Amino acid sequence: MSTSTYTAHDSHAINSMGLWLFIVSETALFSAFIFARYYLTGTDQPSELNIGLGYAITAVLLSSSLLAYGAERRIAKGDRRGFLWLTLGTIVLGALFLVGVGLEWREAAHAFAPPDLFGVVFFSLTGLHATHMVTGLIALCFVWLVGWRGGFGATDHWGVTGVVRYWHFVDAVWLTVFPTLYLV
Amino acid sequence: MQLAPTAFLRDWAFGPLAFGMLVGLVMFFAAAGLIMGVRAWAGTEPVAFGPVVLGAYWFGLAGWLLGIGVWSKWAKEWLGLPVDRTMKTGWQRYFDFTTDHKVIGVQYLVTFLSMFLLAGVLAMLMRIEHMSGDQVLFSPAQYNYVMSLHGITMVFVAVAAVIGGFGNYAVPILIGAKDMAYPRLNALSFWLAAAVPVLLAATFFAGGFDAGWTAYAPLSTENSDGQVLFNLAFITLGLSSIAGSINFIVTVIKLRAHGMGFDRLPIFVWAVFAMSLLGFFFTQYIAAAMLMTLLDRVFGMAFFDFTEGGDPLLYQHIFWFYSHPAVYIMGVPGLALALEVISHFSRKPLFAYRWVVGGILGITALSAIVWAHHMFTAGLSTAELFFFITTTEVISIPTGLIFLGALGTIWRGRLWLRTPMLFALAVVFNFLIGGLTGIFLADVFTDIHLQDTFFVVAHFHYTIVGAGIFGLFAGIYYWFPKITGRTYSEHLAQLHFWWTFLSFNLTFLPMFWLGLNGMNRRIAVYPEELEFLNLLVSLGGFSLGASFLVFLYNILKSWIRGPVAEADPWRARTLEWQTSSPPPVENFTEAPRVVSGPYDYGSPSTAHAVFGASTNPDGAG
Amino acid sequence: MAEICHKTSSILTTSSGTTTVIDLTGSEPQAHERKTLLNGRNVVTVFVIWLGLTVLGVFGAYHADIYPIAGNHLASQVDDAFRLLMMLAVPVFTFVVTILVYSMVRFRRKTDADDTPPHTFHSHGGVIWGWLVVTSGLTIAVLIHPGFTGLRELTADRHQDMVVEALAAQWSWNFTFPEHGVKLDKANDLMLPQGTRIRFDVTSRDVVHSLWLPMYRMKIDAVPGRTNHIYLTTGEPISFSEDPNVRVQCAELCGTGHPRMQVRVSIVDQQEFDIWLGGLEPVIVGNE
Ligand code: HEM
Ligand SMILES: [Cu+2]
Ligand SMILES: [Cu+2]
Repeated sequence: MSTSTYTAHDSHAINSMGLWLFIVSETALFSAFIFARYYLTGTDQPSELNIGLGYAITAVLLSSSLLAYGAERRIAKGDRRGFLWLTLGTIVLGALFLVGVGLEWREAAHAFAPPDLFGVVFFSLTGLHATHMVTGLIALCFVWLVGWRGGFGATDHWGVTGVVRYWHFVDAVWLTVFPTLYLV
Repeated sequence: MQLAPTAFLRDWAFGPLAFGMLVGLVMFFAAAGLIMGVRAWAGTEPVAFGPVVLGAYWFGLAGWLLGIGVWSKWAKEWLGLPVDRTMKTGWQRYFDFTTDHKVIGVQYLVTFLSMFLLAGVLAMLMRIEHMSGDQVLFSPAQYNYVMSLHGITMVFVAVAAVIGGFGNYAVPILIGAKDMAYPRLNALSFWLAAAVPVLLAATFFAGGFDAGWTAYAPLSTENSDGQVLFNLAFITLGLSSIAGSINFIVTVIKLRAHGMGFDRLPIFVWAVFAMSLLGFFFTQYIAAAMLMTLLDRVFGMAFFDFTEGGDPLLYQHIFWFYSHPAVYIMGVPGLALALEVISHFSRKPLFAYRWVVGGILGITALSAIVWAHHMFTAGLSTAELFFFITTTEVISIPTGLIFLGALGTIWRGRLWLRTPMLFALAVVFNFLIGGLTGIFLADVFTDIHLQDTFFVVAHFHYTIVGAGIFGLFAGIYYWFPKITGRTYSEHLAQLHFWWTFLSFNLTFLPMFWLGLNGMNRRIAVYPEELEFLNLLVSLGGFSLGASFLVFLYNILKSWIRGPVAEADPWRARTLEWQTSSPPPVENFTEAPRVVSGPYDYGSPSTAHAVFGASTNPDGAG
Repeated sequence: MAEICHKTSSILTTSSGTTTVIDLTGSEPQAHERKTLLNGRNVVTVFVIWLGLTVLGVFGAYHADIYPIAGNHLASQVDDAFRLLMMLAVPVFTFVVTILVYSMVRFRRKTDADDTPPHTFHSHGGVIWGWLVVTSGLTIAVLIHPGFTGLRELTADRHQDMVVEALAAQWSWNFTFPEHGVKLDKANDLMLPQGTRIRFDVTSRDVVHSLWLPMYRMKIDAVPGRTNHIYLTTGEPISFSEDPNVRVQCAELCGTGHPRMQVRVSIVDQQEFDIWLGGLEPVIVGNE
């Protein structure tokens, strides 16, 4: 492939910058919903909120990020087997998180279903986050599949780096959403 | 030959389009069927416009994009499969998932100019209605639909035509790059945007929408189904803008040719860069506003539903938090394009270049903190009013620097009054009126009366049409020889200019008076006393509409049969003129190296760039 | 070389077409560029034209009678503010337009060969700073008056003689006079007593509307779920039949009935107002 510039450039740096910009942009989307939470409901919280479950899924998600970090390190060292296992672990923990959200939603749908205002912000924020999780999971599956077919290597794994960075970002978003809904 | 159907779809000129539509429709209806099935299974009425369309749309959109080329030219790569690297040539490129930024620029231009003309027809219809103070042509519901459709279509045109069209066409050449940073994402942005007119047209079959381009809740959570399509269209264009903005930012930061420092960036590139900084971030807020409206409408949420404790003002805050920056996205690229033309056609350096750049960046920064000046009558607290008066008025200072740049440049130049220059100078004139009347609106004391009247209508037409669209036309005439390799008729072009310029002012100047004298906006019925002036405005409007026929005739005829253009008919310095007309794929035959500023006229000893024999190894990356 | 030119030298092309590059260092380029930019004859001509146009324009802006009927003192003050802003906008407008048109005439390219201006300059510190000072000065002036002073005018006096509750609905205005215990639903006509300070409590039952009284230059949105207030003092008796701006007009798009969502207003003396009130429907408490 020819490069798209007349000066020597680093395609990794270009891709990386684009991803960072995308992440900053997504932050704006979440910030609008987080703003709506405080604007509409202040710091109110219904007593039915299952904070224990909230902590549990947070822990699951954090561990998945750790595994994702490991997966990237492995492939950078050329360790394909380790990379595949750790990616798989990330996917499993991510899916587990979504199951946890599902459980949370079952309770929430009884206790404060929209149009209850807390329900409105709760479901939209967790739903928006879950949508990003699903996107991330699909991307991780792609990464796993490509890796499994022998696709990435120690020097050539932007796909992994990018998806893992996105995964960390979705994780970081949860670390804002969680206190916004459960703790303040 | 063994894969005859796919080969046919790939090679036939309209194959990708047809295949995209087919896959899109199939996925749309499959998803719609699935959703209805699930609804029936869950015991709810299966056929419901909101949930079915809202859900199925994304599948239809994905199918359309995958079908038109994302799959065969891009996504297969993610699975390690071989991708189709063929590129069509000639006119067929414009109907394909082509990654050449010049093709994409023309795609944007033609698409959004067509939308501009169609929405212009709607404006003519509205002006027929306004020839009398009473209802004459439309029912009230029809009027509201026509008005809303005109508004949102024109807003989309203003957001996408200059940046999407000339941003794509010119920015990579102006900075000496072969293409954008992400050529395939660029093609994706365009084909995403192409779904927007389809959605807008489809509103006709879904009962229309009547909440204006601002779509204030809760009106927009209760009106007819067409509103759902409106919201989806806004989100879709938003996605396209975000992708495009990120592309521009990275392109300008990373792909500048050797020697092209930020202090040598053509001013148009600066403007696209700065507006992309707004676009990639703030566009998410319009997505949020549209999404919340849809959630309220379709999923029974209550962001804006006061009966449940929601607040309609939340919508307005989020909406304007995007839409104020957006009005700059609509205006500033055209303004900068005018400055670009003014320097080349005055044969003089852009005056106070660094200050003009500072002005653009100042506007960019300030535009994030002025949004509530659209809500002065919404019931803000005194402290809020105080804050937003201050920030809004202060915007005049960086705006003034742009005028300084224009005036300093023409002063004692050698003004070459060809059509691009005439349009560019008209931008300065129109934007002056637009900007000065902004002060009346920025001041709460006077704005309380003027808000939501024709005064505001006049103001934003002077800024957006006067700067954005006049800038677009300056750009079209300026770059026409470059894009098409042909020359247009200067006589017809000047006829078009004067006709448009005079009609434009005849149409919009009286509107200030109308607004001040009690004509509120978005109405078909108004006090009889204002009929005469409205008639005048209508006549101006018809004349404005007719003037575009001259434009169309000239452009179409010249594109097909115009005399062949030179590489640099304007003898301008910037890089796009240092390559053939039209430029080759990847723009230059030899790598450019920039050695001086883009506007250093008066120093024939230096060129802006030299070609070839560069010290850097090309293609090493 | 190019960079040097850019910063420290001026390049002169004499009108005969030969190019002289004068490499000046130190403070001289500024001195030279000032001469180029502020060349005597052109500047004087432009100044004279500008001054003439400005005098005419300011005079016109001062006397222009473009305002609708002003129903009270505050409305006249708003018009004064509008007039002041026009008078300040005129010099800016004439300045830009004079330079535009003058340049188009005087500095136009006459022949094809005449392609290079005799003088080029990139920048001029004095002009830029002067421009900044003037535009900032104007901005701050306008910000203070009529900006802040107008804001104070609007918010200072928070007392009223009478309260009117305005409830907007698709597509009618409904007024209640709580102190008198009467109301007027789906109003076509509204009477208000002259010379009375009235507080309007404005809200909506469905979508956003806006209560606009053009003759008082007063407007406030009717936002469902909130009550917004405006204060205004009615002036002399007048009625809609005399001027269409004596009306309540919905000013926020609210659906099909939006343009016709208006109420004819009459300002009357207290006696007539009381008679009118007596004819209204009483508010039955607990029947809202
Ligand atoms: C010095 C510059 C400007 C100032 C001080 C200014 C001020 C304002 C204010 C205060 C309003 C709100 C008016 C109201 O609704 O009562 C307004 C409306 C508007 N302005 Fe500007 N403006 C400026 C420049 C621009 C530019 C550059 C654009 C676009 C290119 C623009 C586009 C608009 C639009 C579209 C609206 C109306 C939005 C709507 O209600 O539909 N303005 N302007
Ligand atoms: Cu604004
Ligand atoms: Cu209304």
